[in-house]
Amino acid sequence: MGSELVIKNLHANIEGKPILRGVNLVVRQGEVHALMGPNGSGKSTLSNVIMGNPKYEVTEGEIWFKGENILEYSPDRRARMRLFLAFQYPMAIPGVSVANFLRRSLEAIREGNKPLEEGENPSGKASKRKTIPPGEFRKLLQEKMKLLKVDNSFINRSINDGFSGGEKKRAEILQMALLEPEIALMDETDSGLDIDALKIVSESVNALRGPNMGILLITHYQRMLNYITPDFVHVMYEGRIVKSGSKELALELEEKGYEWLKESIEENGVSANA
Amino acid sequence: MLNVSTTGFTKDALVELSRQRGEPEWLLDKRLQAWELYEQTPAPLGRRGDLGTLKALAGFRFQQLTSYVPDPSEKLPAKIEQSLQEALVNDRSGLIVQHNSSVVHTQLDEDLKEQGVILLPLDKAVQQYPELVQKYFMTECIPANASKYTALHAAFWTTGFFLYVPKGVEIEKPILSQVWIDAPSSATFTHTLVVTEPQSSVRFVEELSSSVTSDQPSLVSDAVEIFAQRESRVEFSYLQDLDQNTWNITNKNAVFENDGSVTFVMSDLGAKLNLVEIGAGLQGNGSAAELVGIFFTDHDQRYKINTLSDHVGLSTNAETLVKGVLTDESRVEFDGMIRVRPNAQQTASFLSAHGMMLSKKARGEFIPGLEIAANEVSASHGATTGQIDEEELFYLMSRGVPRPEAERIIVQGFFEPVLQRIPLENLRIRLRRSIISRMSGAYETEADTWVDAQERWEIEGVDEGAVHLDDSTRDKDEIELSEY
Repeated sequence: MGSELVIKNLHANIEGKPILRGVNLVVRQGEVHALMGPNGSGKSTLSNVIMGNPKYEVTEGEIWFKGENILEYSPDRRARMRLFLAFQYPMAIPGVSVANFLRRSLEAIREGNKPLEEGENPSGKASKRKTIPPGEFRKLLQEKMKLLKVDNSFINRSINDGFSGGEKKRAEILQMALLEPEIALMDETDSGLDIDALKIVSESVNALRGPNMGILLITHYQRMLNYITPDFVHVMYEGRIVKSGSKELALELEEKGYEWLKESIEENGVSANA
Repeated sequence: MLNVSTTGFTKDALVELSRQRGEPEWLLDKRLQAWELYEQTPAPLGRRGDLGTLKALAGFRFQQLTSYVPDPSEKLPAKIEQSLQEALVNDRSGLIVQHNSSVVHTQLDEDLKEQGVILLPLDKAVQQYPELVQKYFMTECIPANASKYTALHAAFWTTGFFLYVPKGVEIEKPILSQVWIDAPSSATFTHTLVVTEPQSSVRFVEELSSSVTSDQPSLVSDAVEIFAQRESRVEFSYLQDLDQNTWNITNKNAVFENDGSVTFVMSDLGAKLNLVEIGAGLQGNGSAAELVGIFFTDHDQRYKINTLSDHVGLSTNAETLVKGVLTDESRVEFDGMIRVRPNAQQTASFLSAHGMMLSKKARGEFIPGLEIAANEVSASHGATTGQIDEEELFYLMSRGVPRPEAERIIVQGFFEPVLQRIPLENLRIRLRRSIISRMSGAYETEADTWVDAQERWEIEGVDEGAVHLDDSTRDKDEIELSEY
């Protein structure tokens, strides 16, 4: 049986302000779920909370991944369980090259689901750490870069430093390709991309798509779904998933707009989740 | 040489020190005047509401210190020999080693001696080149009356280094000075006097280390005076890596003639309390000063760092770039001043200082100052302190890296632009290594690799090369130890 991400009645606040108000969602390895919704509906918050961003406070509910309640796990431990978040706004870290950081990151991911608590030697006792021989890493990286049609140049630049919007998103997907998550959360990966960049990024996601990866694709617009066909579509509104369906739901939403959604909710109340 | 040590600072001890060394009258007078100043001057206490570094220093028990530690052995102690094997500069043109109150080793390349370069212990230079020393020693650059602590230094200094570079002589390989302190409850005075004649150049590297216990703290009083004459160039780098029981007071200043240039590289890692004054007196027209600085504080270390770019001549320029990381309960006060005098037209001056705090209990106070009395000036300054960015940490952690290591990576990125400006490769490597090991909480870690965009942050020989810009691998150690 593949890995499952199960969100149960999730409530979360930022600075005391409630954003998520009872989210229920199941994403399985191999499935692609699109999560849509108007600005401010809580889509990005959901992905951040799943990954464990300390900025948000979970007030109620559970997050289960691979049979464990991960709510108390640090973000790095969640990542080592092979959960991944492609950021909407990836941080620039000057002075640290993408290749070197990715090698370290992959080493960490391969250490697997272990707590590496503060206080113990932070790198997990450096002498015991399994390092990836540079040759092997380079081969792997080149393979992924070829798959995603990324050229060599930005690998040696500092992480996201001076990257264009499109480069940042592609760097995120390259990381995703290399780290091989079982469930990947993609937070507005399409935002800020022109149509050509959107095509490239979508092709990359399609190239990575497969039975070993579950994807939660968060997007405001339907346009990315022209290139990536989701298995399920969910619509988020005011901190809840109010509608779930097949890919046709995205088209319907595109056609009728979020206003339609609002009206239909106000008329019918919250619909059942998938 | 004095044969007995005395405790405390007194006028009698001072007179005895001078007499036993057979010092000329002018020097004894200078000491006596300085002593009087020291006694008259109240200890600086800082501003109300500052972080209290000066106040803490004022409370230090100066009178329990041994003001002079005789050094009976002419031979280098084994651990100093050892440290020289790992010195910052292996390929050097001169070496001078001070152990507690005495210089125990001096060496200078023969061809430099032939060209008239002088490298001597400062007390010997007093005997051999009295006019030069009298002209430059604590006169214009760091006058004895600059502060209570410079007065104490002028009264009780014992030795240090004198470097004189004649006209047109360019010294490629750095000259290394090492100061070693292991005498408990002692005061070590070290004074570096560098004079470069027109069109000459030199690179000088100073390394301060110590080992004393917490119940017997020692004091280091370190003064560096640089006279960069017309069109001469000086690069002065130092690494202060004293143990955290030792208190350190340092004044470093340069005086510039026309078109002279001086680069200071400050790196402060050690000391329990560290008072640093670094200045550039840009009197000469067209002179240029650069200060590149790094510090890292942890435990309960306290630093106060004052920098001054003093623009006096026409079209001078100065750049100050300081970055530091504070953790645990350490405190750092930084005051960076740019002063542009009334006739200093066409001044260009830039100052940037940033502190990053890794702990909620660490405190940093960074204050930039600007006094401009000329009208044709381009100056900018900025000083900030802040906690490490939680969003950046979250980003790195979301890639599987545990928090402490994510912090190290961010710190590395924070320091990198300043490190890139440090000309001495071994100093860059040493700093990276120290920072890594201090952030890992392990001083002796052998196997930690860390890599940045341009070169490797690594502790020797752990893995064979990494992916590099040029797609090549590098598999040899960064530090190649050469024969001493």
